[in-house]
Amino acid sequence: MGRILGRVLWAAISLAAALSLGVVASNRGEPVNSTWLVVASVCTYLLGYRFYAGFVAARVMALDDRRATPAERLRDGHDFEPTNKWIVFGHHFAAIAGPGPLVGPTLAAQFGYLPGFLWIVIGAVLGGCVQDFVILFGSLRRDGKSLGQMAREEVGRIGGFTALVTVLLIMIILLAVIGLVVVNALKDSPWGTFTIAATMPIAVFMGLYLRYWRPGKVGEASLIGFVLIVAAVFGGQAVAQSAALAPWFTLSGKQLAACLIGYGFLASSLPVWLLLAPRDYLSTFVKLGVVILLAVGIVLLRPDLQLPPLTRFIDGTGPIFAGKIFPFCFITIACGAVSGFHSLISSGTTPKLLARERNARGVGYGSMLLESFVAVMALIAAASLHPSVYFAVNSPAGIVGAGPAAATATITGWGFPVTPQDMGTLAQDVGEKSLFNRTGGAPSLALGMAHIFVQSTGGQAFMGFWYHFAIMFEALFILTTLDAGTRVGRFMLQDLLGQVSPRLGRTGWMPGVLGTSAVIVLAWGYFLYQGVVDPLGGINSLWPLFGIANQLLAAVALCVGTTILVKMHGARYMWVTCVPLVWLVVVCFTAGWQKIFSPLPALGFLAQADALAAGAQTATTGALIFNARLDAAVTGIFLVLVATILIDSVRVWIGILGGSRTAKSTETPFVPTQLMEES
Amino acid sequence: MIAFLRSVAQIVAQVLAELADQNAYQRHLAAHNTVHSPEEWRNFQDEHWAAKSRRGRCC
Repeated sequence: MGRILGRVLWAAISLAAALSLGVVASNRGEPVNSTWLVVASVCTYLLGYRFYAGFVAARVMALDDRRATPAERLRDGHDFEPTNKWIVFGHHFAAIAGPGPLVGPTLAAQFGYLPGFLWIVIGAVLGGCVQDFVILFGSLRRDGKSLGQMAREEVGRIGGFTALVTVLLIMIILLAVIGLVVVNALKDSPWGTFTIAATMPIAVFMGLYLRYWRPGKVGEASLIGFVLIVAAVFGGQAVAQSAALAPWFTLSGKQLAACLIGYGFLASSLPVWLLLAPRDYLSTFVKLGVVILLAVGIVLLRPDLQLPPLTRFIDGTGPIFAGKIFPFCFITIACGAVSGFHSLISSGTTPKLLARERNARGVGYGSMLLESFVAVMALIAAASLHPSVYFAVNSPAGIVGAGPAAATATITGWGFPVTPQDMGTLAQDVGEKSLFNRTGGAPSLALGMAHIFVQSTGGQAFMGFWYHFAIMFEALFILTTLDAGTRVGRFMLQDLLGQVSPRLGRTGWMPGVLGTSAVIVLAWGYFLYQGVVDPLGGINSLWPLFGIANQLLAAVALCVGTTILVKMHGARYMWVTCVPLVWLVVVCFTAGWQKIFSPLPALGFLAQADALAAGAQTATTGALIFNARLDAAVTGIFLVLVATILIDSVRVWIGILGGSRTAKSTETPFVPTQLMEES
Repeated sequence: MIAFLRSVAQIVAQVLAELADQNAYQRHLAAHNTVHSPEEWRNFQDEHWAAKSRRGRCC
């Protein structure tokens, strides 16, 4: 009876998924309600989890709860500790959830909501979740080893070194691009700048509170910190309205970039307990709270999507970033569907906490499904804005023209009528002077979120508060990624330099710490500055570069995953990781090739440099030409690095499948578990 | 139903405790066979964050 009921239930879920996907994909001419997107995504996730992840867990990985996990075998009370699966799930999700799934779908909405939505859902179920799950499984069977260690052992020394260099380079581009998102959200915004500036002394206060006044009271300190940052959001309004204070917090893009670079250096050099740790606690709790709040708001309000399913910009002429729907929709969505960075988490803390092998399915596959759902919510928030507002906010002045009149004329010409008065009223509602040319995705996402929060709570007067609360939320955890990422980059550089001079590798030697911090900060700071002075807004160049890099790291992880599966089963199940791998390689190499060699100056870095060289020369032309050529070189380096590990991996697979190489397993031998109760 | 809600609330509280490093701190105390004190918390913080701040950050 139960079995029949189960089949009926799954048939109903399949039907609901098919019906809602059909509505989302085929509706034309009238706004689609966001409920269809929620139902379509949730039902597809359930099916993916129940059937595909179930198949991979049972047949491909043969997860075995009788086998002791590293958490049990290597239990040390620190890193290795068998932990309840729900706690590991929360821990893993909090670690993988970054700004990417919020910003990427917002930017990709320039193609309309449909392509982004389909890729977020399908890409996650067949690609992103599989990558996270397979790497978690691989690490779980190898004493919790990192991706780099697995690459070295499974593929070879070249693969291991390539993975390390790729991660370091990607980190630099990531930090630059998320820094640019913050700069573009805060420039000429005294309210936003004050609020974000206030989070720093608040974090230091929390650090001192936790260290000396109330040691160990993290919840208490985080609650006080949260109350203080909400007060700072209100305080920002008073600052913006003050003739004396507002100028102090009205900063240009260049000034904000300089502040961020200085902040990154300080955060990387200061004791971790003073700034980084308290910010991390605060950011984690605020992040989870706002994601839940957004989900509740969307379910309660069920907004109609104002953006069309497809826009005219699928032809590659989009104002936010150049390039056709293929491959740039997939590159831009990035972390919402597939994120290479997740492989670092899946082979980091998480495998050291899992008490049972079968918990890997919920944690590895399930967490990525939730991350994908966050991306769907971000897409809904952005697509519920009127298209004219969406494009006015996200388009750079270099494309739509400087000044409200020029910008609104251009956007109206695209078929999205808007007037300077409309945008002026909206800016006034949220307490800003202007909302034009705020590229980067964060302001338009904040507008969408503010609309949802205001309509859910019924207080239009709080539009300004909610907009700046959303900006604060985005900037808070972007800056947390920025300061922690700078520190991680510093450690990676110290590890590399330590091979040359052991003193440079010592984390306690202050000249080494300051020197390597400066190198990392200047590296991402250079790209950030380049984005700030870019006449096309910077996002056009940097976000695709980041997207390509992130997806290429996923390709590296899938190479390692495929090698593991080939060693386990031969060719039988290698399609599980090979299908997403082939797709990512095709997408990334097409995008990378176009970004380097496209003859269109808006798209190709080299063509952009040539166009600048042929045009009128100004004081900054030389620097812009150099930047475009540098971007082309960085893209080329990414492609060469990943081609190297790909060729190395294919060589290993052919050797194993052809019989010229033994499929030597690096799995730790089976040890029966002694854990009795279900964890 | 009440039992279910109670277990959900317990899981949420445990997840929050994990994210606030309270569970890791309890493990640290147990591993060092000691009890909470300001000095011990500072030792834990230094040890825990020295490792945590080396890990990759997601985007």
